[in-house]
Amino acid sequence: MNKLFPTYEVGSLPKLNARVKATRGQAVTDTDILEVKNVAQKYAVEADKILDIVQLQRREQRKITAQEESTLTDFNALLYLRLQEAVGLDHVYDGEARRAEMYRHVARKVDGFEDLPEMIRSRGPDSWRMSVCVAPPKLKEGCLDNLIIKEFDFAKQHAAKPIKIPIDDPYMIAVMSDNRYYLESLGSQYRNDPRRLRYEAKRAFTLALARQVIRPQVEAVVERGASWVQLDIPAATLDIEHIPIVIEGVNAVTQGIDNVKFSLHFCYPRRISAVEKKGYELLFPALLDLNQNIDHLSLELANADQYETDLAVFAKYKEQRTFEIGVGVTDITLEKQQQGRLETAEIVRDRILRAAKTLGDAALVYVAPDCGLRQLQLDRCLRMYEIIVEGAALARKG
Amino acid sequence: MNFGAYLTGSFGQSQQLYEKRNETKRGRGSVDGAVKQVADDTAKIIQLQQEADLDFIIDPMFKFFYLFQPLVEQVVGVKEGLQENWYNNNVFYRCEIHGPIDVQSSFTEKYLNLDELPKNATAMAILPSPYTLLRRSTVIGYHTLEEAITNLAEILHAEAQQLASKGIGRIQYDEPEIVVRQSLGSLREEDLQLLQRGIEICGKIDGATTSLQTYFGDAGPIIPFLKNLPVDCIGIDGTETSIDDILKHNYVGKELALGLLDARNTSLENPVELAEQLRIIAERTNPKKLYLTPNAGTEYRGFTHGLNKLHLLKQVRLILNE
Repeated sequence: MNKLFPTYEVGSLPKLNARVKATRGQAVTDTDILEVKNVAQKYAVEADKILDIVQLQRREQRKITAQEESTLTDFNALLYLRLQEAVGLDHVYDGEARRAEMYRHVARKVDGFEDLPEMIRSRGPDSWRMSVCVAPPKLKEGCLDNLIIKEFDFAKQHAAKPIKIPIDDPYMIAVMSDNRYYLESLGSQYRNDPRRLRYEAKRAFTLALARQVIRPQVEAVVERGASWVQLDIPAATLDIEHIPIVIEGVNAVTQGIDNVKFSLHFCYPRRISAVEKKGYELLFPALLDLNQNIDHLSLELANADQYETDLAVFAKYKEQRTFEIGVGVTDITLEKQQQGRLETAEIVRDRILRAAKTLGDAALVYVAPDCGLRQLQLDRCLRMYEIIVEGAALARKG
Repeated sequence: MNFGAYLTGSFGQSQQLYEKRNETKRGRGSVDGAVKQVADDTAKIIQLQQEADLDFIIDPMFKFFYLFQPLVEQVVGVKEGLQENWYNNNVFYRCEIHGPIDVQSSFTEKYLNLDELPKNATAMAILPSPYTLLRRSTVIGYHTLEEAITNLAEILHAEAQQLASKGIGRIQYDEPEIVVRQSLGSLREEDLQLLQRGIEICGKIDGATTSLQTYFGDAGPIIPFLKNLPVDCIGIDGTETSIDDILKHNYVGKELALGLLDARNTSLENPVELAEQLRIIAERTNPKKLYLTPNAGTEYRGFTHGLNKLHLLKQVRLILNE
C-alpha cells in the first residue's frame, strides 16, 4: 500500500446488545432494537430479518434457535465490516463478532484442556474461565470450521477492503491457562531446579499450542487466501525472563509460511519494571530473532502517551531489524470511557507525527486504536474510528 | 522436630461469589447478596483452617482485591495509582503516595473480619512489607528512599501493633519484590539496605510474632541476609528456590516457612514426598520450627484449588505428626 499512514482496527468490537440478550434468552429492550435500526441504517445493512427475529424472541420470551442465532451473528459480522469500510479504515475485519472472547473462543476447542470449576479474578471483580492443560493440547477434531474458517470465509466474501485477521498467539493462551500437564511431565527432569522447570514447562506448552492449536488456524486461512494475519500477544512482557519463549512460539506458528503478511499485536508492556529496561525495550534483543516473514508490530501507545520513549528502541535497532509499526493513537480503556474523554483528530495527528519522527521514517507508520474495543460502547467505538481516520488524513497534510 | 502448616495469602473466590459480584456489576443483583456470600465463604475457610489444625488462621481476604487496597482506600496521603501486573500475575493498582504521611492505623480492620478469627493468638494478618510497598508505589514528597521507607515502615508498624492489640498473634509481611529483583539480576546493595531499614522498624511487634514472606522469586542467594532480619520467621518460595540452596544454611533460632505447595498450579503435590522432604530439611537446617505453606495465596486458581491445597497441608501435617 502506497498511501501514507494507513489505518486499521486491532480486533474486537462490542457485540450488539440485542444479539447478546436474544441469544441468552434475556429481555431485549426498545433501546437495544433502536441501536440495531440506527447502525444498520447508517451503514446500509439490511436489518428487517434481524429485527423480526428479535421482536419474535421478545414476544415469546424464549431463547433463539440455532438458525436464528446464526443469522444474527452473520448480521453482526457484516455490519462491522461495513461500518469499518464506511468510516474509512484501510484494513478491516468483522470485529471478532463470532468469538465469545479471545481466550475462550480457542480454549474450549482444545483437546487436553479442562475448565476450572470457578472463574478466576483478573482485575477487581473481573474474572475469566481458566482452562487446565491435562494432556498435550491439540485442536478438537473438525473444529477449525467454527473456530476460524467460517468467519474468515464470510469476511473475505463480503469485505470490500483488504482484511487483516487477528488470531491468538500461543504464548497468550499458555499464560492464561493452568499448565498442569507439562509441570508434572517435566517435574522429575528438573526436580532441583524449580525455575528451570517453570521455564521449560511453559516453553513446551507454548510450542505445543503453537504447532497443534494456532498454526493449523493460520495455515487454514492462508490456504483460503488470507493476505494479512495478526497474532495477538497482550502478555508478552508479563514474565520478563520468559520473553524468548514468546519469540519461539511466534516462530513456530509462522515458520515457512511466506505468502502472507504477518504482524504481532503487543499491548501494556511493563512500563515500570524491576529491571533497567522497561516498556517495549524489554522485548529487545529477543525481537531480532523473529522469523523474517514478520515485518509489522501493532503497539498500544496512546494509554501511556510517551511515544518518543516507547518507540526509541525501534529506532535504536533499525539498522538490525526494521518493523512497520501500527501506532496506537487512541486510548481504549474503560477508565477513559467513564471519564467521557476521547482524543480529537488533532491529537491523533500529533501522535502520528511524533511516532513518525521518532521512528525516522513515516512510511513505517500505520495507525490504529491501542487494542481491541470490545469493552467499550458501540457509539464510542464508531467515533474512535472516525477520529483515527480524520487524524491520519490530517497527518498526511503534515 | 516441631512442624507446622498454614496458608499465606488470599484464597480463591467461589463460583457463587463470582456470580453474585457479576450480577451486582451488571446492575442485576443486590450488593447485599455479594456481602452475604463473602461472609459465608469467609466463615467456611476460617472453619476449614481450624479443622485442619493449622498453626495460623488467616482471613481469606475476600473483601478486597489486592494487597494495597486498604491503604489506597483508608490511608490519608495514599491514592490509587497506575494499573499494572502484580509481578507475573493479574492486575493490581500501584499506590500513589504523597509523603510524608502521618502515622495512622486501623486501616485494615474493616477488611479483615477480625471478629471471625480465633482469639487464641493463632490469628494471622497479612500486610505488605515496607520494601515491596515502596517499590510498587509511585512515591513523591520524600528527600530520600530511606526517608520514604522509614515513613512507610512506621505506618505498617502502627497497623501491626493495632492488629496485635485486637488479638492478632502473627503478622506476615509480604515481600515478593526483593526476591523478584534477585531473580532478575537487578538487586542492588541499596535494595537490601532499604528492606533492612524497613524491617528494623516494623519487625518487632508487642504481643505478636512476625514473618517476612518472600515469593515469586528465588531467595537462594540472599538467604543469609534474610536470616538476619529482625523477624521471627522467614518465608521462602519453594517453587522458585531450590531445595539445595535452602539446605546450605542453618536456621537456628529462626522459624522457616517453606512454600512447597504451588499455589499457581492445580497439580497436587505428593503428601508423602513432601513430608519426607520436610523431615530432611528440618534435620539438616535446624529451624526453630518448620512450616509447610503454599508459595503464595491460592487466589490464582480459585476456590476448589484452594481447598485442595488446604487439604494437602492437613495431610502432610498428619503424616509428620504420626
